[in-house]
Amino acid sequence: MKILGIPSGWHLRLAALLVIGMVGLSVFLKPKDSSQAANLNQQTEEYCLTCHGDPDLETTLPDGETLSLYISPEVLRDSVHSPLGIECKACHTNITTYPHPKLEYNSKRELSRAYYLACQKCHSDNYTKTQDSMHAKAAAAGNLDAPICTDCHGAHNVRPPDKPRSHISEICGQCHIEIFNQYKNSIHGTALIQQDNPDVPVCTDCHGVHNIANPRTSQFRIESPELCAGCHANQELMSKYGISADVYSLYELSWHGVDVSVFQAKWPNLWHNSAVCTDCHGVHDILATSNPSSRVNPTNLLTTCQQCHPDAGPNWTSAWTGHNMISLEVTPFIFYTKAFYDSFTPFVLWISGIYVVLQILRALVARVKRSL
Amino acid sequence: MSVIEQPNPATEAQLIKTERTFQRFTVGQRWEHAALFLSFTVLLLTGLPQKYFNSWGYQVITTPDRLVLFRRIHHIAAVVLILEVVYHLGRGIYLMVRRQLGGDIFPTWQDVRDAWQMVKYLLFLRKEKPSFGKFNFEQKFTYWFLFLGIGIMVVSGLIMWFPIFITRFLPGATIPAAQLAHSSEAIAAGVFVVIWHFYHVHVERLNLSIFTGRLNEKDMREFHDLEYKYLTGSTTEAGKDENQGPPGGDEA
Repeated sequence: MKILGIPSGWHLRLAALLVIGMVGLSVFLKPKDSSQAANLNQQTEEYCLTCHGDPDLETTLPDGETLSLYISPEVLRDSVHSPLGIECKACHTNITTYPHPKLEYNSKRELSRAYYLACQKCHSDNYTKTQDSMHAKAAAAGNLDAPICTDCHGAHNVRPPDKPRSHISEICGQCHIEIFNQYKNSIHGTALIQQDNPDVPVCTDCHGVHNIANPRTSQFRIESPELCAGCHANQELMSKYGISADVYSLYELSWHGVDVSVFQAKWPNLWHNSAVCTDCHGVHDILATSNPSSRVNPTNLLTTCQQCHPDAGPNWTSAWTGHNMISLEVTPFIFYTKAFYDSFTPFVLWISGIYVVLQILRALVARVKRSL
Repeated sequence: MSVIEQPNPATEAQLIKTERTFQRFTVGQRWEHAALFLSFTVLLLTGLPQKYFNSWGYQVITTPDRLVLFRRIHHIAAVVLILEVVYHLGRGIYLMVRRQLGGDIFPTWQDVRDAWQMVKYLLFLRKEKPSFGKFNFEQKFTYWFLFLGIGIMVVSGLIMWFPIFITRFLPGATIPAAQLAHSSEAIAAGVFVVIWHFYHVHVERLNLSIFTGRLNEKDMREFHDLEYKYLTGSTTEAGKDENQGPPGGDEA
């Protein structure tokens, strides 16, 4: 029996099944990144640790620094790489055997700055992003202490940075000590560090992760209210904490907010002084408005206003409606003004309009009558 | 008195047809209107793009420098308007105190009755228009609604212009309230001028008396019949309040 001219037979059918099965398997088992796959299962760790497992192994660099060459097996085991089979040679590509090639670095920093380039082999996306960051610019300007991958993530002890979440901010705090101390005591920082709150922002939520931009540009400033709005205009998120989610939309209607939204849309690169969220609430040291130390607590509000309005007197603070909707209870003065313009003025205008329409009709009728 | 040009119409009329005109406004009043008209227009043109700054306004105010310029022009026009208001009120009060200006512009119960009769006329419940005095109720309504509007605009505008100074005496809430009032009243006054004032002086009839100072006989009889009769002496002064000064007699 022949089907479509192909001779049938059990061996042919089996061969066909095999081919299909192999193709299927190969697709299924295909690794995500072939470059990564090439470095898998190097089995170098055990070999290297025969020497580098010695806690006393060290060398002296030309600048006099002592470089420990000890690698703790426990640290390697707890890292993300080693259990996945990404072992020594994946990063230390220039070392193939013993004796090693001579270290060509004068200092530990120089060595780190050379070795961290290995990260881009696998993490090219994030590596590329760091090239646009403030840190890369600092390094390009000659500051060799500007952080590289390993300064934040660790070298042999690379672990997920967000376990626990507060770890992220603590990493930044290693260098940004003063800011971290402010943040630690802020409403966001306390919730993060003391309660491991999943909602509050850590440093990277506002500043970005690898491509951390300069936060002192006019563009960052003018876009910062939107950054805050990312969480503070989220009804679901804010209701968890009993905070109004209308603060941003009401800010947008305010004198400050209108200015800022136009500058953001039209002239983001021009510096503008109209108040953004952080001008009043603080940046890293934001506190609950009910906290007596908060810049926007009624006790401190005038001082905060006076940053920009130095001659303002005590009455001035009530000009700010405090992100509240117009209501009889909170803003009676504006409430009555609005009521007037919602009732009397439209009433007068409607009466005027109707009267004029009647006049037009009457004049038309009179004209038609005359012409008849 | 305001009847000029034809001291003896009866004899002249037999030879040539002439049109009698009646003085409505003095030169000073016409300049006042010009100042009001100009400042009002400039204020609207420079104010509306600021009110709608974050919707379409920034397409007019295309640079921050231009925003400063718009505000400056707005302030200059505001000063012109304020000076006009001060002059208008000062002169009006001065003349009225000296009994040289009548109170024709003040609303009376007769205006309410006139309005009611006019509505009846418009609804075909009455054959003829009612007779009006020097200023009919429509004109008084124009005057007083804009009087109120300009008052609100000047006060709220000054509050916004000098907020720090104002809050030395007044609660801070006056500033956002002034902002709301200024913004809303501008629209109200603008719409009112367009639908009410433009209709009555351009569409219903072309009334150029605020520019020429004078009104023709036909319009005088149709829109200011009582005043016409009073000026021409063609009837008694019935309907004319004896306490009022000489009509149109504000040439001081």
